[in-house]
Amino acid sequence: MSLSRSQAKRIVNQALGAASLGDVRVSVSASRDGNARYGASMPTTTGDVERLDVSVTAVTKDKRKATASGNDTTKEGLEALVQRAEQLAALSPVDPELMPPRGSTSYLSVKAFDRKVSAMKAAQRAPIIEAAIKAGKDQGLEMSGFLEHHDRAVAAGDRAGLFGYTRDTQISLGTTARTTDGTGSSKAGRVGFDAKTIDGAAIASEAALWALRSKEPTPLVPGDYTVVLAPQAVSDLMGFFVSQLSHRQASEGRSFFAAGGGKTKIGQALFRSSITLTSDPTDAANPARTMTRGGAPQPKVNWVESGVLRSLTASRYWADKTGVSVRPRPSSLHMAGGTASLDDLIAGVDRGVLVTRFWYNRMLERRSILATGVTRDGTFLIEKGKLSKPVQNLRYNDSPLTLLTKVAAMGVPTRAGLTLGRTDVVPPMVVEGFHFESVVPAV
Amino acid sequence: MSTYRRDFLTLSGLATASMLLPGRAWAMPAGTRKPAPDSPPPTSAQAAAALAASPVAAHVDIAKKAVDAAVAAGASYADARLVLYRTQSLSVRDDHVDGVSQNDRYGIGVRVIAGGGWGFAAAGRVDEKTAASLAKTAVDAAKRNGAMLEALGKPAVAWVGAPVAKGTWVAPFETDPFAVPLPDKAELLIDAAKKVLGTGGVSHASAGVSIVGEDRIYVSSEGAQTHQIAYRLFPRLSGSAVNRRLGRFASRNLEVAPMQAGWEYVTGLDMLAHASQVGDDVLQKLHAAPVAPGKRNVILAPSNLWLTIHESIGHPTELDRAMGLEANYAGTSFIKPTDAGSLKIGAKGVNLVADRTQPGGLATVGWDDDGVQPGRWDIVRDGTFVGWQTTRDQAGWVGETASRGCSYGQGYDGVAFQRMPNISLQPGTEGYTTEDLINATEDGVLVSGRGSWSIDHQRYNFQFSGQMFWEIKRGRLTRPLRDVAYQANTVDFWNSCDMLGGEGTYRLGGTFGDGKGQPGQSNAVSHGCPPARFEANIVNTGAGK
Repeated sequence: MSLSRSQAKRIVNQALGAASLGDVRVSVSASRDGNARYGASMPTTTGDVERLDVSVTAVTKDKRKATASGNDTTKEGLEALVQRAEQLAALSPVDPELMPPRGSTSYLSVKAFDRKVSAMKAAQRAPIIEAAIKAGKDQGLEMSGFLEHHDRAVAAGDRAGLFGYTRDTQISLGTTARTTDGTGSSKAGRVGFDAKTIDGAAIASEAALWALRSKEPTPLVPGDYTVVLAPQAVSDLMGFFVSQLSHRQASEGRSFFAAGGGKTKIGQALFRSSITLTSDPTDAANPARTMTRGGAPQPKVNWVESGVLRSLTASRYWADKTGVSVRPRPSSLHMAGGTASLDDLIAGVDRGVLVTRFWYNRMLERRSILATGVTRDGTFLIEKGKLSKPVQNLRYNDSPLTLLTKVAAMGVPTRAGLTLGRTDVVPPMVVEGFHFESVVPAV
Repeated sequence: MSTYRRDFLTLSGLATASMLLPGRAWAMPAGTRKPAPDSPPPTSAQAAAALAASPVAAHVDIAKKAVDAAVAAGASYADARLVLYRTQSLSVRDDHVDGVSQNDRYGIGVRVIAGGGWGFAAAGRVDEKTAASLAKTAVDAAKRNGAMLEALGKPAVAWVGAPVAKGTWVAPFETDPFAVPLPDKAELLIDAAKKVLGTGGVSHASAGVSIVGEDRIYVSSEGAQTHQIAYRLFPRLSGSAVNRRLGRFASRNLEVAPMQAGWEYVTGLDMLAHASQVGDDVLQKLHAAPVAPGKRNVILAPSNLWLTIHESIGHPTELDRAMGLEANYAGTSFIKPTDAGSLKIGAKGVNLVADRTQPGGLATVGWDDDGVQPGRWDIVRDGTFVGWQTTRDQAGWVGETASRGCSYGQGYDGVAFQRMPNISLQPGTEGYTTEDLINATEDGVLVSGRGSWSIDHQRYNFQFSGQMFWEIKRGRLTRPLRDVAYQANTVDFWNSCDMLGGEGTYRLGGTFGDGKGQPGQSNAVSHGCPPARFEANIVNTGAGK
């Protein structure tokens, strides 16, 4: 179910009121989600799901803490949940990293709610996916994809005066077009808060165009190549950057940002001076969550300015202990770019490889962030500024972060349409000396 | 000491003893047991108590009303699942607890076929009004899907028959893991973590346990009604060390499999007894020599091979992937729907069996979420791919008249679809031990434990790592290695398999996190195997190549 501010407040207050301990923290998340899948050019499953979860963290006077969550929001259900959290807390050992309750907190605000998305049902979904299937099927392609929409509310409160609430909508369509001979494949997608973001036929036509281009690829000898990465490919690798941002891990010598001796690399020039990475949940065109589920505010943050590392994430405990600012894992990532289009970047490359997206990316070595993964849904050889032919997918073994020291050019930052969860607005880029390890014949 | 605590220790002692017997049930080779039971396993006292205490049973009439409402609205098939999905996790770092949480999610999901299409609706509230409204929403969505199938010239959902499922099933357990007091759990984990930390040079240790309880009722318009309860446990213990001078970091996890069992499984593991080995291994890893890349033999311990089976055999033999239905996310398969019975994907002697009746197996059930009682069947027989994983709406695609019973929906809010059964590599007939495999190897690497893994979307090209690596030269383990990954093509890899351990070396591995579908759902699944020898490209994954 969707949850209004007043409904959220009722649940939070009812739970807080049922508490017998002085320090109880409550968070509520509610959603109305709908989706429609299709595969082999036919609709498969479609569904509507309503969820409401309440999470209660109880803290005893002697700093024992535990969390219980459940989805029974009747008065009796909430009382039972609070009681369970308090019982678990009493049984839990002392938490030496416990922080006092958050208390009154302010949040940034941004419009990220669309009534049309909130009200969607099967009747609205069906025409979108039918248009997407037809747009590819009419060109002899096999279409599969997923349309989903969410109306989500999150609220957090404690007995020291905290009450935070946000509600937003999200809609996304990702669609894959495959040639019937099984040699060509491409994926396109969009994500946004607004129903206007999604045009089934247009997204499917884009996937269809690139699927036909990617047909009958030939193997390329693995090795070091100049690569042109589409914004989605850049976003796929930047997940590693976000995953390594912990100040604590860096201080403890466990990440790429560790400088040794308990120090981090904050203040060091780590990347090319063209690299600037920020978070801004209030970007009107690409809004992101301004509050975490636990009630932490998502601020605007400069992570990397002109190649220099400026900030890392820190929990309240770690920030208090070390004197750095509290920074949750960000809900958005913006990378500064240039004015070139993807075609302009391709035109500037004498010989290289265009990667449209990466898949199955996994960390191999944490200190250097050496990772492996494969290209997917369209990999092309670039010769003399043009796409000369499709090539088979390739497995890379390289560092997504040392890559930022080898960026030769960047284009216009664009919302990565297949990245859900985090709002990624990143440019296409040209990177020199990217290492491909082996040929991946999969299509 | 409380009475409970004394029982706890006695029990743990007994459990330890039984774990040392060669015939431990969870590790028994699949071939040594009877195939699928004709009727559900006999109900133990614990099972009867769990069923009697289930809060879900009170709502069975609401589930039936949802099904009736769907049929009244025009559904040709409808099912309703009431699912209480409970998780508890406890994690410790060094000498203290750093997280305790428990999550209970309960609700109802209604799945229907109407007008030839599928529809689904679910809510986290269970009452008659909600049930009726979900039925209506699901039928409306299904009819729209049916109309679209017709407009696109595609066939309607073909639902194969199955005997009507009726009964109760409880996965065998001795001690309800949710009933064990938290301080006892914490003490066990902290003791183990402290012992790892006690190894000089280890900088941090962590331990934890994840517990899942599933209590589910399924009713269908065909008259089926089942009630099933299962517990799953995943204990963890690891240590890490940093060498600041060398700028190196190493970590090591205890090689322990998640299991469908009660708390007796955790106490029976005796993590404390293995803790110093974890500590020693971390330091060995930290000072291990970098591996030289190149093609050679790898001997994969069961603690590593299970995941390779999961990724390279489990996923490509899912029929929906081969049909292109998962193309938009997980991917398709290098195996075509027409390949069953003819495609050679492994050497002679390579046999892989699917089994949802295997004791301890995470995917073991009484009935699946289509109301089908699953059994055992061959996936790969003597190197040839022979059998698919199917559900009732898929069996007809390959001309089969019955489902293999692979339908599963996670929680009330996940629509049931095809998910992986336990799939296990059968032991060799020669009775080899791990030592026999090592002794027969001129130049190779022994890989154990679960490391980083990556495989493409048709399941051809993979690159897997592990936890611990030993160099093998002229039949002997010579020294520990680091930065090792093995890369191969699935078919080349399985065709290169030339030695298998015997029955005594067979072990289960598994995961709670088999991800698939959109929206994503997690399936829990086990894979048994003996150690086995293959040929692969060894890749050095270190930074300073």
